Amino acid sequence: MQNFGSNNDLDEKGHVMTDQPKIKVKFEPKPKPSTCPICTVEYYQQFFDIEQRDVYMRIRCSLLSWKPEFYQCVGKNPDLWGPLWISTTIIFILFAGGNLSRFLLEEDKRHFKYEYNYMYVAVLVVYAMAFIIPIILGVIMKYILKSELGVFEIVCMYGYSLSVYMFVLILCIIPYNEAQWFFLMCGLANSTIFLLVNLWDFMKKNKQTTLIAVPIISFNVALILCFKFYFFRLIYAVDD
Amino acid sequence: MDYTNQKQPQNYSQMEDLKTLDLEESVSETIMRDLRMIAYKLKYVLIPKEQEDNGKELRNWDLWGPLIFCLALAMTLSFKADSTTSSSKSDVFAIIFVLIWVGAFVVTLNAQLLGGKVSFFQSVCLLGYCVFPINIEALIIAFIGSYLPFVVKLIPVIICFAWSAYSSVGFMASLVPPHKKKLAVYPVFLFYLFLSWFSLIV
Repeated sequence: MQNFGSNNDLDEKGHVMTDQPKIKVKFEPKPKPSTCPICTVEYYQQFFDIEQRDVYMRIRCSLLSWKPEFYQCVGKNPDLWGPLWISTTIIFILFAGGNLSRFLLEEDKRHFKYEYNYMYVAVLVVYAMAFIIPIILGVIMKYILKSELGVFEIVCMYGYSLSVYMFVLILCIIPYNEAQWFFLMCGLANSTIFLLVNLWDFMKKNKQTTLIAVPIISFNVALILCFKFYFFRLIYAVDD
Repeated sequence: MDYTNQKQPQNYSQMEDLKTLDLEESVSETIMRDLRMIAYKLKYVLIPKEQEDNGKELRNWDLWGPLIFCLALAMTLSFKADSTTSSSKSDVFAIIFVLIWVGAFVVTLNAQLLGGKVSFFQSVCLLGYCVFPINIEALIIAFIGSYLPFVVKLIPVIICFAWSAYSSVGFMASLVPPHKKKLAVYPVFLFYLFLSWFSLIV
């Protein structure tokens, strides 16, 4: 029987409680090291504090893009696991699927030449779209347009907006022009609507904040044009 | 003292005892001992029933084994790559080499960020050793692949990919809390899928 509420240093038997551990009720944050806290592994652990069902829920939120539920899914816990591994999966699909799509069209299958450049371009394009662009947009939104959303929340949202492309790009392996355009347009619509719907609260504040829709839409359009004209270009048109 | 007649050490501590006396032995004996260590660790990692203690033998990690398998895979695949353009051989070599080391680094970092308490190099060592089945698959496809239809080529690819993934998944999953297991395991699966895909298409 311990007296948590009392201040005396004697327990019920009258012994001085000198080596009883004091229970700290107040959370004290770890003192940050003076050099570059953002460079340590510990700083990023807070962005990997999710479970597998959280990831399913967030991907589901992004696929049902017209419902502005993403912030309810994320809460105060933006993650970086999703953006990182969704974009890496997309790189694999672009590399494997892009070449497979060309292979299916190739008449001379024995002498098919694999294009390894797809790997370099895919890494550049996808990681730029998943990390560099949202970081820049997030910094602009937070520090210039005074949004209450942090940079990492924007990165998280952009990462999950790309999740529709995991499915769309697999379907784009089908080597028909019209089919590829159709799937890419669906992906573009889903991804852009997801971003705009979830940023609507921020965008409706004033004219300046509404302008943020312009770079969002243009980067998404540029992305699918890159997918269509570099990775899934049809050199031999199929006449059917 | 002559160590050539020593019987095969049964566990790593016996190998450590042998290490202290290596200044007096010939170079070939040192190399053979290192190769035996690599073979021992390889057998430990790839044959699942030996892994009852959940990877404790891997505390004595080394990066020689992963380096040998990485170079072997990169050389096999670049040898087999399209020789009409010299740049694609070097492309393949560079991609495989970077993919294995950066991939192992990122997968391990992912496990650490998810809260896994593991020595960084121990995990890289395990992932490197588990590349060995992909090596086997690459050699099979390199030598007899051109005579086989695509569907038959898929069989060793799928078997070796499953073998690699299964060997490393047990270890990686044990590092993180249960509700984050799939988050730690999916990158491993993606890593070996990338490598298997390369050995299939080259």
